[in-house]
Amino acid sequence: MHLFLLGVSHRTAPVDLRERLDFSSRDVGAAVETLAARASAAESVVLSTCNRSEIYVASSEPSRAREELIAFLSEYHQLPRDAFLPHLFTYDDTAAAHHLFSVSAGLDSLVIGEPQILGQVKDAYQAAADRHCTGPLLNKTFHWAFGVGKRVRSETGLGEGAVSVSFAAVALARKIFGRLQGRRVLVVGAGEIGALTAHHLRSHGVAEIVITSRTAAHAEALAAETGGRAVPWSDMPRAMGRADIVVTATGSQRPIITRAEVEAVTGRRRPDPLFIIDIAVPRDVDPAVGEIEQVFLYNIDDLQGIVQENLARRGGEIARAEAIVAEELSRFTAWQRSRRAIPTVIALRQRFDDIRRSELERLETKLGGLPPDARARVDEVTRLIVEKLLLEPTEQLKALPDEETQAVYTEAVSRLFRLGDGSDEPDASPMDERRRRK
Amino acid sequence: MNVLPLILYAAAGVAYAVHFATRRPQAGRLATTVLVFAAFAHTFVIGMQTMEVRHVPFANASSAISTFVWLLALSYLYLEMTSDERSMGVFIAPMLAGLQTIPAWSPGIERIDPMLDSPSFWMHVSSLLFAYASFALAAVLGLTYVVQFTEIKKKHLGFFYTRLPSLQTLDIMNARAVAVGWLFLTVGVVVGVIWVTQARAAAPDDPNLRAMSLDDPKIFVAVLTWGLYSFAVLARRMMGWSGRRAAWLSAVGFTIVLLNFLPISYFVRTSHTF
Repeated sequence: MHLFLLGVSHRTAPVDLRERLDFSSRDVGAAVETLAARASAAESVVLSTCNRSEIYVASSEPSRAREELIAFLSEYHQLPRDAFLPHLFTYDDTAAAHHLFSVSAGLDSLVIGEPQILGQVKDAYQAAADRHCTGPLLNKTFHWAFGVGKRVRSETGLGEGAVSVSFAAVALARKIFGRLQGRRVLVVGAGEIGALTAHHLRSHGVAEIVITSRTAAHAEALAAETGGRAVPWSDMPRAMGRADIVVTATGSQRPIITRAEVEAVTGRRRPDPLFIIDIAVPRDVDPAVGEIEQVFLYNIDDLQGIVQENLARRGGEIARAEAIVAEELSRFTAWQRSRRAIPTVIALRQRFDDIRRSELERLETKLGGLPPDARARVDEVTRLIVEKLLLEPTEQLKALPDEETQAVYTEAVSRLFRLGDGSDEPDASPMDERRRRK
Repeated sequence: MNVLPLILYAAAGVAYAVHFATRRPQAGRLATTVLVFAAFAHTFVIGMQTMEVRHVPFANASSAISTFVWLLALSYLYLEMTSDERSMGVFIAPMLAGLQTIPAWSPGIERIDPMLDSPSFWMHVSSLLFAYASFALAAVLGLTYVVQFTEIKKKHLGFFYTRLPSLQTLDIMNARAVAVGWLFLTVGVVVGVIWVTQARAAAPDDPNLRAMSLDDPKIFVAVLTWGLYSFAVLARRMMGWSGRRAAWLSAVGFTIVLLNFLPISYFVRTSHTF
């Protein structure tokens, strides 16, 4: 059984083609089921995100699988083959596993190291597993890939540091407040980045989001979108007094929050810090506000600076992440090789067991007089002898260093023991053979 | 005997440093494991000494330091296991190793004045040692708070920013350590006063007992320490002194504790042996 992969990604296809080949907007599970019903592939998983659409299959004939998958893509998305053929990439066996491991590690992402991809790979696998479309090969490969993703995340800094302004703001908030549960947020101005930051903060479980804007309708709209509460513009100082995090993003030409205003609310407030994120250009908050003891003030340039530094740091971690992928890949291929030895091992065991049984049958007349427990012991002892004889050869066959050597050894074992040969005579014991030769 | 814990504390320190620098989870687990072994070894050493002299060994400065190190190691391990936060180990473990060199080099002779051999005296000393261990933790938490605070405030998100826990976590842990320390300090001082009153009644002519008053530098500094930590506890409750102020207070407090513990014990004659 071979691992085979076919797909498009942000590296090979433009966004409009990726959109047309996207499975995630429709039900991925249904797509896997459709695929499983028509293709010869024994196992399949469809991974579809905004940056990639990839189909992983386990197939005994990769070339046939390729044709079938292309036909499937064309029919499922109602696209002529020629529209996507030049953008397709295909990999099999080790290369396919390498690709999946790199994807799970975040090495193949548009933003290197982005953390969502591992979850998306897991979801894709789960959707296929729930519909019984996976089997031994894909189960093992995908679980291995999850492990690679986890290792890269915990052992390198590849996924570390926010690489977007709104994530950087949330990361800072978490370094100040720890968990954000129970914290209150004030959003001043209802622009796009303000809304995005409010969404991120909401997903981290903040207790309350209060929104104020000069145009009340904008505040109301964003409040409805983020599950927050809109307050009149004139209530801003009071709302700031209650807030732990303030996000300002108005189009005002002059600062709307002065040092005196912040001092007025921090003087009265509890000792907890106040984190002000000023993402407006020109700035909404007087820089002198940052001098107040409990106030942490970050503007858009500060946040963009953090993003740039993080991107540079991630770049430096790529080599370490790739080394982990390579290490896991060599272990994975060793596992695959050991798996290829399995049919030979099974045949060898079968052969030995057949000999054992035929010998026992031959001796039936002599053993017939034995009581049942002694018979059982004879059976057990002969079985154990066979087990012990085969233990070392089995291990050795599984642990062979490369495919060529393995092919030579399997061939040798098959010949030596006449495996898979219908003409063998299980009745002929080694003793008989010797007698015959004499 | 005190050398084995010293080696293990030092090894744990190295592992914590590797964990802090590389952030490899295995290094962190190794560090904790080594520290647990160090604490076990130290427990064994202190247990043996206790069997030998029939009381917990803290009748001289050296053995008191050893007991203090042991209590600090246990308190730290408790903190680490309850908060699942290993980054403090890089500061605590070297401190353990550094202080443990004193009992390892000069073990001191554990001879005890029969007058001191009373339950209230042991309670006095052990409460104070435990209080000091808590203050040591509070000071380390406070200093790391200041480091983290400065990095975030100055927008210089460097080496420590990514490795240290959030300001809120550090502040809460600091508050807890100070509160526990203050409680034990209070118990230690009160029991000490009770013990002196009883001992004076029993031996009115003893010069050491007579000298036990606020004029004695050791006692004076201890009371000063108590005053400072009482202020820290109250100021947090009443005046909202948390964060950086509380962090500095606990650092200053522990400096005074250290002064009282080491130089004053060694260089100034006081009514106390340590």
